[in-house]
Amino acid sequence: MIYNIRHATKVKYASPIAHALFNLRLIPWNWAGQTFRNFRLTITPQPSEREDHDGPYCVNTTRIAFRETLSEFDFLSEFEVEVDAPADPGDGPSVQLVRDDALEMLDISVLSPAPYLFASRIAQSDDEIRRWASGHFLPDIPIVKSARALMKAVHDEFTYKPGSTTSATSPSEAFGLRKGVCQDFAHVMIIALRSHGIPAAYASGYLRTNPPPGRPRLVGADAMHAWVNVWCGKDLGWVGFDPTNDCLARFDHIQIGMGRDYADVAPIDGTFVGTAPQQMKTAVDVIEGS
Amino acid sequence: MSDSGLSSGDPVQSSDLFGPDPGSDPLAYYMTSEPAADIFLASNPEVASAWRSFAAGLADQCQCDFSSLQLYLDRHVEDLGMAFRHTGDEHERPWPLNPMPIVIGGEEWAAIEDGLVQRAELLEAVIADLYGAQRLIRDKHLPAAVVSGSANFARRVVGMKPAGGNFLHVCAIDLARGPNGEWRVLGDRVRLPIGIGYALENRLALGRATGGLLASIGTRRQAGFFEALRQGIAASCARAEPRMALLTPGRFNQSYPEQAHLARHLGISLVEGRDLTVREGKLFVRTIAGLKRIDALWRWIGSRDIDPLNFDSRSQIGVPNLVDAAAQGLVIANWPGSGVVESRAMSAFLPRLAEEILGEPLKLPNAATWWCGGEGERAYVLDNLDSLVVSSAFRRPVAGLPDGHTRLGSSLSSQEREELRDGMARRPMDYTAQEVVSLSTTPALADGRFEPRGFTVRAFLARDEAGNWKTLQGGFARVSQTGDLRTSLMGLGDISTDLCIVDPAAQQVAVPPPRLEAPQVRRDQGLLPSQAADNLFWLGRYGERAHQTVRIERTLLEQVAITGEGMGAVTAVTRLANLLRSLGAAPKESTRWQPSRLAGAALSDRKLSGSVRRISEHTAAIALLLRDRLTRDSWRAIQGTIPRYTPGDLESMSGACDRLVERFAALSRLMADGLSRGPAWSFLEMGTCLERASMILQAAGAMVPGSASAEDLSALLDLVDGQSLYRSRYVSMPYIAPVFDMVLLDPAQPRGFAFQIGQIEQHLGTLPSLRDDGLPEDPIRRARQLRARIEALDAEDLDSDTIGSLGLDLAGLSNAISRRYFLQDEGPVSQAKARLLG
Repeated sequence: MIYNIRHATKVKYASPIAHALFNLRLIPWNWAGQTFRNFRLTITPQPSEREDHDGPYCVNTTRIAFRETLSEFDFLSEFEVEVDAPADPGDGPSVQLVRDDALEMLDISVLSPAPYLFASRIAQSDDEIRRWASGHFLPDIPIVKSARALMKAVHDEFTYKPGSTTSATSPSEAFGLRKGVCQDFAHVMIIALRSHGIPAAYASGYLRTNPPPGRPRLVGADAMHAWVNVWCGKDLGWVGFDPTNDCLARFDHIQIGMGRDYADVAPIDGTFVGTAPQQMKTAVDVIEGS
Repeated sequence: MSDSGLSSGDPVQSSDLFGPDPGSDPLAYYMTSEPAADIFLASNPEVASAWRSFAAGLADQCQCDFSSLQLYLDRHVEDLGMAFRHTGDEHERPWPLNPMPIVIGGEEWAAIEDGLVQRAELLEAVIADLYGAQRLIRDKHLPAAVVSGSANFARRVVGMKPAGGNFLHVCAIDLARGPNGEWRVLGDRVRLPIGIGYALENRLALGRATGGLLASIGTRRQAGFFEALRQGIAASCARAEPRMALLTPGRFNQSYPEQAHLARHLGISLVEGRDLTVREGKLFVRTIAGLKRIDALWRWIGSRDIDPLNFDSRSQIGVPNLVDAAAQGLVIANWPGSGVVESRAMSAFLPRLAEEILGEPLKLPNAATWWCGGEGERAYVLDNLDSLVVSSAFRRPVAGLPDGHTRLGSSLSSQEREELRDGMARRPMDYTAQEVVSLSTTPALADGRFEPRGFTVRAFLARDEAGNWKTLQGGFARVSQTGDLRTSLMGLGDISTDLCIVDPAAQQVAVPPPRLEAPQVRRDQGLLPSQAADNLFWLGRYGERAHQTVRIERTLLEQVAITGEGMGAVTAVTRLANLLRSLGAAPKESTRWQPSRLAGAALSDRKLSGSVRRISEHTAAIALLLRDRLTRDSWRAIQGTIPRYTPGDLESMSGACDRLVERFAALSRLMADGLSRGPAWSFLEMGTCLERASMILQAAGAMVPGSASAEDLSALLDLVDGQSLYRSRYVSMPYIAPVFDMVLLDPAQPRGFAFQIGQIEQHLGTLPSLRDDGLPEDPIRRARQLRARIEALDAEDLDSDTIGSLGLDLAGLSNAISRRYFLQDEGPVSQAKARLLG
């Protein structure tokens, strides 16, 4: 499957900001099964400095600096990607085996399970989420079944409602509301998995805009999307679960980055002198190519 | 001969009959149930005699009234400005220091030092591997989760090499002495060696409070350590004469006083994140002379907060791009991410890592630690729960230990045990267990007597110029307040005491005094960060404002004493009252108040923004920010409170004002004398002059609208201390023009307006210029214009409008100074927050 992706963002400030330094995390990481071509990142106005680097997690970071003051700026990322859908994972090994395996891997690289086992800045541990999820993690259940059941629970019990949460809403608060958007769902699911000893990571990327004939349009397709990668043991490795759409991430998901939570892969963050943006508009098109 | 065995011929010492006199040997009757587990009782005779003579010296000093000794010591502690906060404290707490140090003989200490140095080398090697080849993980010596579980593991710096090659420059190691005299390591601190400054201050306070006692028992000195630390960091820098700074999170941090003290002691700048900026991969501090390069930072900020672009973007105290500067040669002590070795989980592996990396066992054993992430270890811990303490492996709250605190296994209820088992089944990697470490006791002074108390010691190490680890000859000891500290748990309410390493008299001769290379004589004063200049300027302004406000109040009280309390006609008293109201020192509704009530409010009403009490509090708050630059005496003068007075009693209130005037005058003298003549002093003086000029203008404006009475003019002369000068010059009662000339226009009157402007102009002339075209900068141009304007004025023509416009010019000058020299990036750095996800 080939897609053409166009992701445009406009940021506006009420009064000009100074000393602006930003991290943009839009360049796709080099995933197995996804081939990227013709990537272009256009930033207007042209930043005074720009530097790309890999990491620290599965993410490419573009550091930009504006020497002049700034009252608005745009960034546009465009590329083509060919997706080889991953094979059906089957049921996978038992929850207990995944737990044990995760502690035995002699590896701490960005694709290993160890970095994704612990609470992180946004995905803080939460006893209520742990208790809520505990029925899905009996030691003998196969991991894929277990994660599917958890994903379905999030999908069924939570209401997808843009505007019901903000980026300042913690996963615990979103859990209390049983409302939110893809980011909240992903964080809640990550916290649940980790609290039961299963490595879980935050995946960011895009969804295809128009569904194949006969299928409904996916939720979250008009912006960047988030889902959960679950480490399913030595052999299966990372498998993507999308709680917003209650499906595995296969043909329709284009993965850009993976980190411990949103903070590691946020499309933009940074520092400047001034007040927070007044307005941030973003538009995403993921069109099937040939 | 008698049966008693005493012959009348023998001289009998009372000590033979009744034992030693507690005055000359206060430790003679000190005993515990387990003498071997007491560091004094178990010490060898030479060291024990050092303990005894120190205790005897203390007894001698206070005539055996040990409680008075504690009060005396507390005063020295306060004088040093020693204080701390618990997290969440609004105000600093006084520092609790026990007068009886812990004494360790040089021989015993040498063995401890060996172990400490070995441990520091091991920690360095582990950190170097984790941020480099990561062989320890690949070869199965260290589980990956022990590393990734630490919130201090900084993946961003994996692969980066520290400038100078060393990840660690300073470290602190906590030790406990067991019941049989064996020393064990309780924990390692490489992020923030909290306590290092307190160790220094404890020694200073104790030394001052006990005269020559420390030296008399052969206590080793500590001075060389801090010099070694400084040179060690300097040696890693690329430039020959590197510039160093201590990066502090700011004055609300719990160990800010310690940080300020260290910066002062080491002679390096104390800076906050906002003072610093990274340009093209180099770190600079914003100073009054523009950007100045910084070569090395001693950071007292956790890695996560140190750089909002590379770590947590929410950090408001870090420096954006600091990591990029580090990649290009900035020395950071200790390197970001070093804290990964601090976890309890890591402690469990250090004995094995010592064998693997150093090829030898740990010389100072750990308290035995098990990480439950291993199956065998988990089983052992669960089987032996009652004889262990259970902890969170990475100091986070975990199931069964909801606040993240360590628990004695035997103290857990059955329900808690169940939670713990359940938690360990799901997430075994979150738990560690340790053997219960019994602590030795030490004789500590409590309630005026020597009592056995459990203690732990924090030792400190730093690399010297050659990169070798040096141990602080002493350390920071924590003594438990209650008698029964028998586990490794440490509670709040502990007190600190000094740790003395002593060389018995016989060996002292053999040890040559350390030969330190004397530094090159220099007279420059280091750099003045813009923020420090800003604070000095405002310290000057607030100090002077308090001073002038008291003068106005005193003049008011004197006028009342002459003319009575009535406030009928417009008199000097009403005008002074109006002036105090316009300064915010009296409430608006005070127009019908008795003047004495008004003066009382202006002195001590905390609700009034212009009251002397409030201004003094502001002054003290700013002084906190300048702790590294103020002398002890200034510090003490700033902390003073409003003297007692009887409300309503004119005599008593005037007396209070007199004492305050004296104190503020002394304070400005002390502050000015404590600063060498350079930019820092200039900013303090400019603040003082500017405030004085502003107060004179306001007083002149308030006292002389239209026709001024002789009382008004006399009051105005009082405010500027000009009565006697006026009388010697004019031999007449005060008239408007001569008074105005003296108060506002005469450049030779040191309390007059014109003089202040002249002083400001002179100070500005000494400051560095940022212009390379040789033209004067804005502040000095404005000062010159203002002075020229004053010179051209005629006292006969001065009216309210002229006084008002002089006020505007003065405000313009103040703003010009602040624009040019102080940080303009007001408000915190904020980050993009809007949501981009669907």
